[in-house]
Amino acid sequence: MSLPLLSIQNLGISFGGLKAVTDFCLTLHHGDLQGLIGPNGAGKTTCFNLLTGVYCADTGEMSLAGRLINRLKPYQITAAGMARTFQNIRLFHELTVLENVKVACHLHTHQSLASAIFRTRRAQYDERAIDTRSRLILDRFGLLDRADAPATSLPYGDQRRLEIARALATNPKVLLLDEPAAGMNPQEKIELTKLIAFIRKEFNVAVLLIEHDMKLVMSICECITVLDHGETIAQGCAEDVQANPEVIEAYLGESA
Amino acid sequence: MSHHREAHLLRPWIAVAIVVAIAVLLHQTIGRYFGDYVERIAIDAGIAVILAVSLNIVNGYTGQFSIGHAAFYAIGGYTAGLFTYYGSLLLWNHTSAVPGLIPWNIDINLALFHLRFTTTWGPNYLIQQQLFVGSIIVGGLVSATAGWLVGLPSLRLRGDYLAIVTLGFGEILRVLLQQTNSQLYTKAELHDATFQQLFPPPVGGALGFINIPKVTTLFWVVLFAGVTLIVAWRLKRSTFGRSMIAIRENEIAAEAMGVNITRLKVWAFVFAAFFAGIAGALYAHEPGTQISPSDGSFLRSFDIVIMVVLGGLGSISGAAIAAVLLTVANEWLRGPTHVWHVLLVLLIVRLIVWPEGRLKSAIWWLSAIIAIELARWLAIKWGIDLGEYRMIIYALTLISMMILRPDGLFGTAEITDLFSRRRAIGEQPRGFEVMT
Repeated sequence: MSLPLLSIQNLGISFGGLKAVTDFCLTLHHGDLQGLIGPNGAGKTTCFNLLTGVYCADTGEMSLAGRLINRLKPYQITAAGMARTFQNIRLFHELTVLENVKVACHLHTHQSLASAIFRTRRAQYDERAIDTRSRLILDRFGLLDRADAPATSLPYGDQRRLEIARALATNPKVLLLDEPAAGMNPQEKIELTKLIAFIRKEFNVAVLLIEHDMKLVMSICECITVLDHGETIAQGCAEDVQANPEVIEAYLGESA
Repeated sequence: MSHHREAHLLRPWIAVAIVVAIAVLLHQTIGRYFGDYVERIAIDAGIAVILAVSLNIVNGYTGQFSIGHAAFYAIGGYTAGLFTYYGSLLLWNHTSAVPGLIPWNIDINLALFHLRFTTTWGPNYLIQQQLFVGSIIVGGLVSATAGWLVGLPSLRLRGDYLAIVTLGFGEILRVLLQQTNSQLYTKAELHDATFQQLFPPPVGGALGFINIPKVTTLFWVVLFAGVTLIVAWRLKRSTFGRSMIAIRENEIAAEAMGVNITRLKVWAFVFAAFFAGIAGALYAHEPGTQISPSDGSFLRSFDIVIMVVLGGLGSISGAAIAAVLLTVANEWLRGPTHVWHVLLVLLIVRLIVWPEGRLKSAIWWLSAIIAIELARWLAIKWGIDLGEYRMIIYALTLISMMILRPDGLFGTAEITDLFSRRRAIGEQPRGFEVMT
C-alpha cells in the first residue's frame, strides 16, 4: 500500500456558533477520482476552502504528499501541489485566454523581478518557456485557436474548461473541481466526463470532485463522500452510498 | 526555430538608448524653438507622466486604490532637496545652480545639419550634476522605503480601507513637513549642529523649501520619464505584471493559482513610490517652482488619480497621454482664448467619443469646429474670458469623460495594441518543441 497523496484527518471549522464542517476525513491516492456530494449548504465548498487554505481549520490535520499543509497560505498550498477550480467561474476577465494560463505558470518562474525589468537572458528564456508551456496546455484543451481572445468572450463551457486548464498549469498533484458540470447541458456533461478521464491520464493527477449531478458522480467516481450539515454521513463506493439510509434521508427528507 | 529562443542581450538596452537620444533632442530643441514657457510646460508634463505611470502600477495593475501618491512625491522631493541644498552649501558655499545639461553642449543646427560641440566646463560643474543625479536616486530610494513601510501593514486592506490609509499617510506627512524648522541652516550652523538638532531636518517648514539649486532640465525629466515608461512596460509584460493584473481581476483566483498576492502588492507599492520619489526630486529642482508641504497633500494626489483614471486603469500609454493632456490643458486654458484651446478640447473629445467611419468622422470634426468657433465668437462678443472658466471646462471634460467612457481613454489597452491586433491574425503560434 503506497503512502496516501492527500490525507485529511478530523478537519473542522465553525463560524461563530455554526459548525460548518466537523470531523472531515478523506484519503486520496495517486490517480484516484473521488466525489464529494451533499445537499445544498452541506459544507462541500467550505471543505474545498479549508483544503486550499482560504479558511484556516480550527481542528484537524491535512498533509499533501507527506507534508503538513495546515497553516499554509493558499498560494503555498498551490505550490505544494493542490490546485482548484471555482463553483462560480473566477477567470481573469480582462486577460486573454493565454494570459489566464500564463498567470498559473508564475509559480514555477525562474526569474527575479530585477531580471524581468532588465530583460536578462534568463528572464527572456523564462518568458518563452511560460509561453510555450501555456500554449501546449491550451492545445490539449482545444483552446489554442482562442488563445488571444479575452477570457470573457469564451462560451460558458469553454470558460469552465479554461479554468481547469489554468489549474493544471500550476502542475498539481491533486486537482479539486468545484461543480464543474454546473450549468452544463447533457451533451456538455458527457464531454466533461471524457475530459476528466483525459486529464487524469494525461496530467497524472488525483481528482476530488464536488458535484450535484448524481448520475455523473455515481458513474465516474470510485469513492464518494457524502456530507450533510457539515458531517460526513457516508463514505464508500457508489452502490454502498446509494443504499445508505442516511444518504437517502438527507436527499429525500423523511425516510420512506 | 532556434533563433527564436536565443536570448537577446543587447535588445533590452536599445530602448534606453532611444530614450537618451530623445531626451537630448528635446532638450536641445524645445527651449530654443518654442521658448522657455513651452519648455517649462514640457518639464511639468514629463513629471506628470512619471507620476501617472507610476501610480498606474498600484491603481491600474494591482487594482488597489491609493490616494496618497503625492506623499511619496514629497518625500522624494524633500530628500533630494536636502541633499543638493546642504551638499552644495558644504561643498561650494552657495546653493545657486550652474546652468546647463551635460559637460559639453551639443549644438544641433538643424538648418545646416551639422553638430558643434562646445564645452562649458565650469570648475564645479560636473560635480553638481552628479550630486543632483545622486540625489534623485536617493530620493527615489527613500521614497521606495517609505512605500514599503506603508505598504507592508496596509496592503492587507482593500478598496476604501486602503484608500483611507494612504490618504491619512499623506496628511500626516504634510503636517510633519509643516512642523519642520522654517529657518534653513547656514554652513556654520550646519557644522555646529548636534545630531538632535538635525531632527526634524531644517527643510523650510510651512513656507516650503526655498533656494534648492534649480538644476532640473528637460533632459533629465525626459530621461527619467522614459525610464519609468520602460520599467512600467517591462513589468506589465513580465510574469510579475501579469500576476499583478490577475490580482486586480480576481484576488482569490490569483492566490489559488499560486500568486503571492501580498508580496506582489507590496512590490507594486514600492515601484510606484520609487518613481514618485524621482518625480518629486525633479520637481524640487525645477526652475521657477518651490516644493512645499502642500505638494504632499491629497489635492495633488487626486490630480494624479484623475490622470490614471482618465487614461484608463492599467494602460501605460493611457496614463502617459492623459498626464500630458491634462498638464497642457491646465496651462493653456489659463491664458486668453486661443486656437490651441479649440484643438486641444477637440482632441480630448475626439478621443472620448471616437466615432466610426470616415463620413461620420468628417461630419463630427466639422460640427465640433463650428460649435467651438461659435462659442469663441460669442465669448468675444459678450466679453467673456474663457480662461477664467478653465476649471469649469476642465471639470466638465472630466465629467463627460466618466459618463461617456468610464474605462478611460484606452481602457486597459496600449497604443501598440492598435497595430499588433491586425498582425496577430496571421501569426502562427510558436513552436512547441520545448516541454517544461
